[in-house]
Amino acid sequence: MSKIKLSKISKTYKAGLFKKKVRALTDLSLSVDAGTVYGLIGPNGAGKSTTIRLLLNLSRPDRGTVRIDALPVHESLGAIGYLPENPYLYDHLTLKELLFFAGRATGLATSDIRQLMEHLTATVGLDHVRGKSLRTFSKGMRQRAGLCFALLHDPSLVILDEPMSGLDPLGRKMVCDLILSLKKQGKTIFFCSHILSDIERLCDRIAVLHQGQMVREFTPDEITELRQGKMDLETEFIDVVERNEVHA
Amino acid sequence: MIGRIWALALVTFKEGLRDRSLYGIFLFALFVLGLNVLVAGFFMRDLGKVTVDMNLSALSFAGLLLVFFIGINLMAKDIDKKTIHLVLSKPFSRGEYIWGKFTGLVMFVGATQLVLLVFSSATVAVVRWMYPNFFAGFSWGIFITAVFFVFLQHVLLCAIVVFFSSLTSSSFISLIFSLASYIVGITLEEVVFYLRTPTANEEVAGAEFLQRSLEVVTWLVPNFAAFDFKLEAAHGLALEFSHLGVTFGYACLYIMLLLILASVIFSRREFN
Amino acid sequence: MRTLGYRCLWFFLALAILVPLYAYFQSNLWSQRAEAREYLEAGYVVPSQFSRILACGYKGLLSDYQFLRILTFYGSRFAEQQQMVDEDWDYFVASIDVITDLDPYFIDPYVLTEGLLTWDAGRIEDANRLLLKGAVANENNWRLWYYLGFNSFYFMKDYVGGAEYLMIASRVPGSPDYLKTLSSRLAFYGGKTKTALLFLKGMLADTDDALLEKRLKTRLLALEGAVLIEEALVQFRDQQGHLPGSLNELVSSGYLHELPVEPYGGDWLFNKDARVFSTSKFTHR
Ligand SMILES: Nc1ncnc2c1ncn2[C@@H]1O[C@H](COP(=O)(O)OP(=O)(O)OP(=O)(O)O)[C@@H](O)[C@H]1O
Ligand SMILES: [Mg+2]
Repeated sequence: MSKIKLSKISKTYKAGLFKKKVRALTDLSLSVDAGTVYGLIGPNGAGKSTTIRLLLNLSRPDRGTVRIDALPVHESLGAIGYLPENPYLYDHLTLKELLFFAGRATGLATSDIRQLMEHLTATVGLDHVRGKSLRTFSKGMRQRAGLCFALLHDPSLVILDEPMSGLDPLGRKMVCDLILSLKKQGKTIFFCSHILSDIERLCDRIAVLHQGQMVREFTPDEITELRQGKMDLETEFIDVVERNEVHA
Repeated sequence: MIGRIWALALVTFKEGLRDRSLYGIFLFALFVLGLNVLVAGFFMRDLGKVTVDMNLSALSFAGLLLVFFIGINLMAKDIDKKTIHLVLSKPFSRGEYIWGKFTGLVMFVGATQLVLLVFSSATVAVVRWMYPNFFAGFSWGIFITAVFFVFLQHVLLCAIVVFFSSLTSSSFISLIFSLASYIVGITLEEVVFYLRTPTANEEVAGAEFLQRSLEVVTWLVPNFAAFDFKLEAAHGLALEFSHLGVTFGYACLYIMLLLILASVIFSRREFN
Repeated sequence: MRTLGYRCLWFFLALAILVPLYAYFQSNLWSQRAEAREYLEAGYVVPSQFSRILACGYKGLLSDYQFLRILTFYGSRFAEQQQMVDEDWDYFVASIDVITDLDPYFIDPYVLTEGLLTWDAGRIEDANRLLLKGAVANENNWRLWYYLGFNSFYFMKDYVGGAEYLMIASRVPGSPDYLKTLSSRLAFYGGKTKTALLFLKGMLADTDDALLEKRLKTRLLALEGAVLIEEALVQFRDQQGHLPGSLNELVSSGYLHELPVEPYGGDWLFNKDARVFSTSKFTHR
C-alpha cells in the first residue's frame, strides 16, 4: 500500500506583490510504499523542500492531489514526524520543555513523554543538555533537537528535510543508524539530502528532482547496482541534470 | 483539542516570561510606582486621586509595552522565523493554533499584570498609610475593578495582535497595524462625540460624511476608551453593574469574532 | 470534503449567534458612553511641564488632541444645554494654557479663548493673559493684539491700554486700515457705545468662525439698537432740555420710529448720562 501519493502536482510561488510567478513544481507524481525509505535528491532550488511542505499542508498545490494513507494531508498530520530544513526552535525553552510540548500536542501522557524523551535524547546524544535553553544550542545540536521533536510521538511516517546538514561525522552516522532502526520498526521515511553516499546507502527508492520535475527514479535493481559499485550515483545525477538542462 | 491549545498556550507563556525585555518593563513600572510614593507629598489635596491615577496609568502603560514589545513577537516571530513549520507539523488545526497563541498571550499578560498589581496595591497601601486623610473616596473594590478592565483592554489588544499576525508574516507590520488600531480605538470616542456636537457641524467641512464613516469604524475598531475606569477609581465613584457587564460582553464578543475571523484567514494561509 | 462542510456549518452557526450579540453589545456600549459623557466631569489637565515630556516629541500632536478634547467638552455642554460651572472654566483655562505651552503658535486656541472666555465666562483677565502669551509669541498676528485691545476696551474699560494694543495691531504689516482710526478714536471717545460698534464691526469682518460670528452678530444687533436709542435720547435732551421719563416717550414723541428689538430678550434701560443698557446685560440667560 502506498503511504504517500502525489498525483500531478503543480505549484507556483508568487514571490512578491508585482513580481512574476516562480514555478516550483510541474506535474509531479510520485508514490512511496509503506515501510520503505524514499530519498529525494536534486540541485538547489529543484523543489525538494516545496514537495515536503506540501506533504505537511504548509503549502497547498495549485493543481493535483496529495494523499497520505489515502487521506487528505490535514487529516493525517498525527501520523507524521517532520524535521524542517533549518529548524528554528523556541529560544527560551529548554529541550525538555520543547519535547513536553511535542508530546502534549500529540496527546501523549506525561509519564510516556518523560520516558520517550529520556530515550530519544540519549539516542541523539543530547541527554546532558536537556535542561539548557535552546538559544544556547549550536547548529548541529539544534538539528538533533529537531530530530527529537519530530520523532517523539512515534510517527509512522517520518519526513526529514536535509537531516544531515550541519552534523559532524558522528552525527551523520547517528542519523543513518536512526533511519535504519526506524525502517526496521516498519516506519516509512521520506527524506532529501545532498549527501549522495548516505542516500545510496539508506534508500530503497531514489528520485531525482530538477526544476520542479522528476527527471529520474532509480528502481530497486538499480540501487543494488549502485551499492555494488556498478553504477555511480554522483555521475548519474550530474548526467541526468545536465541532460535535462539542455532540454529546458 | 483542549490539550493541544493548552500545550501551545503554555509554551507561549513560558517564552514570554523568559524574554529579557520583561525585566526592563518591570523596572519601568516599579520606577513609576516608586516615584508615586516620593512625589505623593508634593500634592496638596488630590493626593489619593493622583496616586490611583499614577498606579493605573503605570499598569496600563506597562501592559501596552508588554503586548507591543513581547506579545507581538510571541506570535509574529513564530511565523517570521518559521518556527511555525515545526508547530504545524504536529496535529494542530490552524484554529487551534490561533486560540492557543491567544490563550498563551493572555496568560502572559495576565500573570505579569497580576504581579504588577501586587506591587501597585502595596504602593497604594503605603501612600494611604502615610497620608490617611486623603483617601476618603478610595475603595479597593473599585480599584481592582478598574485594574481588571485595564487588563481586559490588553486582552482585546492581544486578540488584535493575533489577528494581524495571522494576516502578515512580518512582525513589524503587525506591530504597526496593532499600534494603529490601538491609537484609533483610544481616540475614536473623542472624535465621534465631537462630530456629534452642533459646533462641529458648523465648523467641520463634511461633518455629516465623516460621522457616517466613523460610524463604520466604530463597528470595526473597539472603543478602547470604554475600558477606562481610572476616573471612577481615582474618585471612588460607584460603578454600575450593568455598565460593567456591557463593557465586558462587548470585549468578549469582539474577541471571539476577531479570532474566528483570524482562524478562517489563517486556515487559508500557506507557509513557504 | 465532509469535514469541510461541517466546519463551514459551524462557522456560520457561530457567526449567526455572535454577530447579532456583538451588534447588541456594541450599540449598548456606545449609547452608555454617550450617557456617561453627559456627566463628564471637567477633566484633569497634566501641567505642561509634564505633558511636554509625556508628549515624547509629539508636542504638536498632543496639543491638537487636547484642543480637540476641550472643543468636545464645550460642545457637549453646549449640546446638553448645561451651564459651564466654575470648575469647567478652570479646566478650560488650564487646557488652553497647556495647549499654548505645548504649541504657542497654534492660533485656534486663542480664537476660542476670545470667543468663550470673555463673553461667556467673563474671565477677562485669564483671557488677556492667554492672549498676551499668544500675541508675544506671534508678534506678526495683528488679530491677537486686536483681541487684547478689544477686551481692554470693551470689558475692562481700560481705554488707554486698549488704544495701545490697537496701535501695536495697526503697525503689523497687513493689518486692516481702520485699526489706526479706531485706536485714535478709542483714545478720545473711549466710553461711547458707538466706538464699541465700530470695534464689533471690525471683529465681525474678520471672523470666519461660525459660532463666534453668530454671537458677534447678535451683539452687534444689540449695540446698534443701543446706539439708535442713545442718539434719540441725546436729540431729545438737546431739544427738550431734559431726558424722557421712559423710552416709550421717545417713540410717542416721534424721536424714534419704534423701539429696536433687544436680541437677548431683555428690556432696554438708560441712565442719567443717556447711556443705554439692557436688563439682559447682553448675555443669554
Ligand atoms: N517562499 C518562497 N517564495 C517564492 N519562491 C520560493 C519560495 N520558496 C521556494 N521558492 C522557489 O521555489 C523553487 C524551489 O524551492 P525549494 O526550496 O523547494 O528548493 P530545494 O530543492 O529545497 O532547494 P535546496 O536544495 O536549496 O534546499 C526555487 O526556485 C525557489 O526559488
Ligand atoms: Mg530545501
